[in-house]
Formats: sequence, C-alpha cells, structure tokens
Amino acid sequence: MWRNYFKTSFRNLLKNKLYTGINIFGLAIGLSACLLIGLYIRHEMSYDTFNSNADRIVRLTMEYRQAGTVNTTATTGTKAGPQLTRTFPAIESYVRTFIKSNVVKNGDKMFDEPHILYADSLFFKIFTFPFIAGNTATALDAPDKMVITKSMAEKYFPEVKTMGYATALDKTLTCNDKDYKISGICNDVPDNSQIKFDFATAFSNLGNHAKGETWWTANWITYLLLHQEKDIPRLQSDITHYMNSTDVKADAGLTGNDYLNFHLEPLKKVHLYSNLPGFEPNGSIKIIYLFSIIAFLILLIASANYTNLSTAQSSERSAEIGMRKVLGASKRQVFIQFMTEAFLMGFLAAFLAIALSIFFIPLFNQITGIAFKSTIVLQPYPLLSLLGITLLISFLAGLYPSLILSGTQVMGILKKGFTFTGGKNWLRKSLIVVQFCISVFLIIYTLIILQQMNYMKSKNLGYDQSHLVVLPIGGKMMDQFKSLETAFGAVPGVESITASYDTPEFVEWGDGISAQDDKGTHDVSVNAMPVDLNFINTLGMHLVAGRDFQETDFAKQDTSNDGANYHNTYMINETLAKKLGWSAQEAIGKKIDKGVTGEVVGVVKDFNYSSLHDPIGPMVLFLQRELSRNFILRIQGNDIKGTVSRLEETWKQRVTDRPFNYHFLDDSYNKLYLSEDRSATLFSIAAVLAIILACLGLFGLSAFSTLQRTKEIGVRRVLGATMGNIVFLISKNFLQLVIVSIMIAIPLAWLAGRNWIQDYSYRIEINWLTFLLAGIAALIITFITVSFQAIRAAFSNPVKSLRSE
Amino acid sequence: MIALKNIFKWYNTGINRTFILKDISLNVAEGEFISIMGPSGSGKSTLLHVIGLLDAPNEGSYSFMGENVLALKEKKRSEIFKTHIGFVFQAYHLIDELTVYENIETPLIYQNIKSSERKSMVADILDRFQIVGKKDLFPNQLSGGQQQLVGIARALIVHPKLILADEPTGNLNSKQGTEIMNLFKELNQEGVTIIQVTHSEKNAEYGSRIIELLDGRIVG
Repeated sequence: MWRNYFKTSFRNLLKNKLYTGINIFGLAIGLSACLLIGLYIRHEMSYDTFNSNADRIVRLTMEYRQAGTVNTTATTGTKAGPQLTRTFPAIESYVRTFIKSNVVKNGDKMFDEPHILYADSLFFKIFTFPFIAGNTATALDAPDKMVITKSMAEKYFPEVKTMGYATALDKTLTCNDKDYKISGICNDVPDNSQIKFDFATAFSNLGNHAKGETWWTANWITYLLLHQEKDIPRLQSDITHYMNSTDVKADAGLTGNDYLNFHLEPLKKVHLYSNLPGFEPNGSIKIIYLFSIIAFLILLIASANYTNLSTAQSSERSAEIGMRKVLGASKRQVFIQFMTEAFLMGFLAAFLAIALSIFFIPLFNQITGIAFKSTIVLQPYPLLSLLGITLLISFLAGLYPSLILSGTQVMGILKKGFTFTGGKNWLRKSLIVVQFCISVFLIIYTLIILQQMNYMKSKNLGYDQSHLVVLPIGGKMMDQFKSLETAFGAVPGVESITASYDTPEFVEWGDGISAQDDKGTHDVSVNAMPVDLNFINTLGMHLVAGRDFQETDFAKQDTSNDGANYHNTYMINETLAKKLGWSAQEAIGKKIDKGVTGEVVGVVKDFNYSSLHDPIGPMVLFLQRELSRNFILRIQGNDIKGTVSRLEETWKQRVTDRPFNYHFLDDSYNKLYLSEDRSATLFSIAAVLAIILACLGLFGLSAFSTLQRTKEIGVRRVLGATMGNIVFLISKNFLQLVIVSIMIAIPLAWLAGRNWIQDYSYRIEINWLTFLLAGIAALIITFITVSFQAIRAAFSNPVKSLRSE
Repeated sequence: MIALKNIFKWYNTGINRTFILKDISLNVAEGEFISIMGPSGSGKSTLLHVIGLLDAPNEGSYSFMGENVLALKEKKRSEIFKTHIGFVFQAYHLIDELTVYENIETPLIYQNIKSSERKSMVADILDRFQIVGKKDLFPNQLSGGQQQLVGIARALIVHPKLILADEPTGNLNSKQGTEIMNLFKELNQEGVTIIQVTHSEKNAEYGSRIIELLDGRIVG
C-alpha cells in the first residue's frame, strides 16, 4: 500500500513540474534560511557556555558618579577584584584581564599580534581553555611565562606539527622586546568566547599602571569565580552595601553624592544581555528575537505556497480522488495518500535545503563574521532540527489540502470542472495577504535601515574622512618620533601628517575639567584627545574661533622645577564652550584645568567622535605628542597604492622593531557599524527571499487560475477582448490582495522602523516616499509575475482552447 | 438483490425544488442484465449512482442483498460497496499516474489483499482480457476501447456481484462498443448482475430487461 502511495506521489510530482518545482524550491529556500539562522542563533546563545565554571563566573562592571554624571563601564580598577575577594567569602577567586596588540618575534618571524591577553595567574583555573601541552596551574605564575594557542605554536614554531606540540614548551618568544618562555599550549579559542586571545601572559606585564591596587583608572575587565551560583543576588547587595560604607568611599576618594559601585553580570548573560561592550561588541537578544521571527516568517511564506498550490490544484486531482473512492478507498486512505505527498515534497525540499545551506555557508560567514565550517550542517543537531521542522511543516502545509480532498463527496468530485469554493478561497486569499504583508513589511523595514546606514556613512562628521591613512606606532619608535614624522610627511603623495592617541572616529579617553569664570567653578566630564601639531589642518576640521596648536606652545610645557610651571594649551569643541556658558569668541584665552592648567587657544566646530548612536559631547584636545599611538596622514587621492608602498619603504628603512601596518580611517569608521551592517544585510536578504517566495507562490497560483479559465479566456477573445482586458482579468484579483497587504504592512513597518532608528542620536526622517516606493515595487513585481501567465493565455489561439471537450 | 422503494431525489434551487428522481420503485434479481434508457437529464445516471451507493436519495428505502443500506453507517456501506459493486464509466476514469497493471491492482490494495495474492489476481484478469502486453503502459498510451477494457478489468478484479456501467460505450466506436457489450453478456452469463445506462437501442438489447426513464419517473 505504501509503495502505491509513494509511486503515485512521485508520479504526480513529476507530472506537475511547475507546481513541484515551486514547492520544493520554495520550501528548500525557507528551510535553508531557517537552518542557517538557527545555526547563528545557536552560536550566539552558546557564548561562553563551554567554560565548565560558566555558571559560577561573573563579570564585574562598574557604575560611578562623578561631577554629577553617572557612568557605567565594563572595566574596573585594579583593586576591585582582589579587595572584593578578600572581603567576601562567597568569592573563590578573581582574574583581571586586558587584551592588546603587540609585536611578537621569534627569530625572523615578526608579526603585529592583535590578541595578547594579560591576566592574573588563576585565569586558566577559572576559565576552561584546555591545554595540549603544559600545566594550567603554573602556566601564568611568573611574569616571564607565556601561553600560546595551537595555531600560534604552528605559526612561530612550525616544527611542532611534526615533532609534537610539547616541543615548543620552554622555547622563547619576544614580545615588545621582552623574552618569554612558553609555559603552555592551549587549543584555539572557540568563536563563542567573549575572551579571544592568541597569547596569554601575566597581568603584571602590563607595566606600572597595572601594579598596585587602585579603585580608579578603570581599564581592566575583572571576572570573579564564586563558590555557588545562587550566591549572586546576595553578593550583589552585599557589595553595594560595602561600596557605600564610609571607609570604602574615603578610600576611593569619594565625596558628597559621588559613589562607586560594582555589578555582577553572569558570564553566560554578558554576550546577549549586557549593554556594556567588553573585549568585543556584544550581541543582542533583540537581534536573536528578530532573526527567529524572520526565520519563522520565511517558513510561513514557503508553507503557505504549498497549501495554496495544493488546494488550487485540487480540481486537477478531483477525478483521481473520486475514482479512488469509487474503487473503495476510505477517507483515511485518501488522506494518508495526500499527506504522503506532502511529506515526500517536504523531504525532497529538506535534502535540497542541506545542499543549499552548505553552498551558502561561506557567504553566510561573510555576513555574520562567524567562521562556520560547511560540515556543521551535517552534524546531528542541525540535521535533527531540520528533520523536526520538515515534519512539522509538511504536516501543517499538507493538512488542509489533505482534509479537503479526502473529505469531499465522491459525486461532487466526479463531475467535470469541479473546484473548491467558499471557505477555501477565503483561506487562500488570507494566506496571500499574509505573505505579501510580510514581504512588504520587510522591504520597508529594510529600506529604512539602509537609509539610516547610508545616512550615517555619508553624514558630514565635522572632518574629512577620505584619504586618511592611519599608521599605528609604539615601542622604540617614540624615541625618534619627530624625525619619523618628518620623514613620513616628506613621502611624495602625503599632503600633511599629524599624530594622536585615539583616532577621531572613536575617542575613548574619558576625562574631567574644571573651569573658572565670574560665574564660579564649572566641573565637566569630557572626552579628551592628546594630539600633535597640525591636527586640525590634517583632518580638515574647522575652527570657529582661535587657532590650531603651534610649535611655541611646547615652550609652556616647562618640566623644570618638578613641573611647577608646567602649563598646557587646549582646544575645546563648541559643545564644551556652550556647556561652560561661553561663546566661541569668549572662550579664547580662558583658563581651564585638566590636571594641568592651560589656556584655551581654539574652539573647534563640533565633530562626531563616536558612533552616531551617541550625541556629540564636550571634548578637549590637548597638545601632548608623546602619548601618540597613531600617525594620521592625509594623502592625495590619485595614487593611493603608490603612496602606501612608499610609506612602507620609508618605514622599513627606519623602523626595525615593528612590522608596517596601516589602515584607512573611513574603513575603521565603517567598522563602528559592523553589527548594524550585518543586520542590515541579513534583513535585505530576508526581504528579497520573502518577496521571491511570495511571488513564486503567486506565479503558481496564476498559472492554475489561467489554466482553469482557458476556456473563458478563449470565449472572451472570440468576443473581442483585447490582450489588456485579459491581463487585467487575471491580474485584478491578485493585485487587490496585494493592495490590501500593502495597506496592512505600511503602518506596521512605520512603527517598527521608527522604533529601530530611535537608537540613534543622528537619524533620518522617515519619508513617505519610502512607503510609496515599496508599495509600488510590490505591485509591479506582482503584476509582472501574474501577467506573465495571463499574457501567455491571451496569446494562445482561442479556437484551440474552445475546440477541446 | 436490489429493492428500491419510493425513491425521491431532489435539489433545492432557490425556492423551487428540482426533482431528479420521482417515486422510483425497482426490484432487480440476481443474474439480471438491465438496461436503463432515457433522454438526457431524465435521471439515469443519478439512479445508477443511488444503486451504487455513491449518492443517497432524499426519500425512500433501499435494500441491497437484504440489508437496508440507507440506514447503515458510512463504514459498513463502503464495505458492501467495496466487495460487491464494480463501476464502469463512460470516460473510463482510469488514474492517469498509474500503469494498466497498477490501475487494476488499486481496488485490491484498498481491500488490504496481500501483495502476492494481488499479483496472481491481476495476472489472471490481464490474461483473460488479453492485455498482458499492455500492463506497463499508462492510460494515455491506450486506445479508448483498450482503456475501457482496463476499466472493466478493474471493476471485475474484486469479483463483484453487481456491475454498474454508466454509458460504457459512449466514447467508443461501434466495433469497440460491440466488443464491450459482448464481454458484458459473457459476464452476465457467468452470473454477474449488470445494470447499464445507455442511449443506444442496440446496446440496450443486450439486456434482459429495459427500464425507461423520463423526467425522473419510470415510464416503461
């Protein structure tokens, strides 16, 4: 009996190639999208769970109030970890961590390594990064020890691949001119770890500012290991209480309303739930929900196609069903037969989906930034999920047609030209409306996101981002800073050069100033930026009043007499001037104090120094070239490649302890929006998929509806209907449904889009043209899809369609 | 075998009631070969469908082999129908996706007959109808006469006591038609009760009794 079912199902699928193709292809796309999104969600949800202590580890974040403003950061001072561990028995141990880049050398192998972890000695006891050689307990117990990952071992000691990884132990690597002994080799850090490192060494190697204990200078990320997970709420309130005690406040130098407090974030919640970025930007549970919804919607569209096409096709199948019933088939048997067909279709789609997923994994990796291997699709978990979803979808999509077809009276079916009417058409129409609602919604939503992204990337930031090259500098280079700057500045193609600590697209340096005038003292929290001469000019910023720093300003930095007469010069931005109650002109010559007093020599026009999520705040530029971490060069646009290669030549002649490294400022600016970019790309793809799937369904439906009306079309043609009349006749009903969909989708998309751009301080106005455009696009696409069939029908010779029967 | 008593069948069209069958009473004994004749729309096919349990009358009683079938439950009725009645249609109604062999086999599948048994039963009937060579062809590869032969083979495969034929030769040329009618006669002689609907006087002659319908009433 099953053989018979399968045989009939197979032959039916083969017979209706268009219908089968649309269904299998559509379902496969839906399933594949679901599978990939599922992998992504699973990856995000699995963050840090590989740590065997994950439940007991918390990240310590800091909240403090100073000068009237409350700040929160994921970083703490050096004191928080040790002091809290000493105070509270619920805490088993702590680890303070920091990741930075440095130059690593072994003989002639020299690379600028971006992920060097500095951590307290218990790091490998608290976190689970299994060793393939060495001892986790002693790996970081002395300052000259270093743990490296498997791939780093292969990179710096290629012989380990043949001789075994243990042979790298006790070998020497040079990092920032200091020699380290390899004390352990661990597996590569998994993608779903919030701490990503290639090298790990003792925290004390960070230098003087990491030694000793202080509540402030919050640069380090501190993790605590607790004895029990359930202690977290209790410990949280104990810590708050403790940090508010008079002794601790005095110890932290806090007065008045100022306070300092720490919060415990369970390790597994950091990635998706924390709003404080740590070593890397966090994911977002909101995005997880959004993508789950999208996966569901795409599947819904694909399944709706199946249901619609099967019911539409029912008239074609009526003779067969009727005959089967006459031959003695029970309702149940016919039901099972049609369900078999649905499941067969589902499984064919699932197989195709696996192939599609494997094919699209590289592209998917590019979009998400995760390095999935293609084989991940073939692992039990994704396969079982796919199986489950396929069964469910096949069942749901096949249920309605199967019930309808098996439940019909034999006599009705045996009559010619039988079609299902009434309730079922209503279902079909609703499904089409739902499909196009989803599609139009996604199109509008995506357009809004793309407009915002485009706006952010093209917004005038207050300086000229184009053709700015950044060369990261450090180490011994600082000794010959001035001559290097002159040399790079003289390279043909370089228009001007300056240097700074942060680059202007993302300033992290937080500071505070106080200023005095006739209205009294003003304390203001600011961002600050140590820069070199020529900064304003090189970056193309505008001065509203005053001047740029100049050579003579260095003279004020008088280090004699223990710095008693040391002064600095400052430039402030318009926002700070306004905050201090000064006009730009008034500000010139005023004194401000930022640890060191100095004169304001210029007021710079506001520029964005952070992502456009944040408004421009008060900002101070001060002249201090020895703090520079980057040269910034403006180069001519006509020979960028040549200029960069000349810069590299100059670098290699003069710098021996660092490899040449550069990037363009607009690239790093665009990186600020990496996660938004990814979401936007995924949304665009989802929107395109949705409209394609919905149109596939319409294409199939219009083919059937045209087929059913072949005779009617023939008669109308004979009676003198034009092609336009025929096309209108067929398209009318579908277009009506799409118009209804657009009407429903527009307000929903408007609400959702408005909600999305709310996160940005600098945002677009949602334009009604967007809605108009999306609506018209949907209509045109629908019209083309549907009229394709209609035109074909209208072209066919009416005599032919009328002769038969 | 069949006893119809005061059968009425109607459709409601707006406020009017359109009668298809009016007060039909009919007895058919086992072994009869009956031809139902009448103009288009006289209710011939409906009467055949009522007899074949494909359609239920609005009024009246119907006993089939001593059982009041109208009172039976759907399941029991379909059981009787499956085992005792074979249908032959004017348009053959073969299943396009199945081969000749599979078409004939289908009723056996629905009766849950074992595969090996099915094989021999189908082989027998293919043999008898001399269509062994066509068993792997699909319906659209056969001529009309051949298709109807398969249709009859399919109806006979379950060894029905009653064959209901709705204009079995309507789509055939006269030679093919004669062949089919001869086949029916043969079957009737073997003891199968046959009721056929036909337009053709000539074909009606094959029957042992002719029933004339006009506007839903038996007139002769």
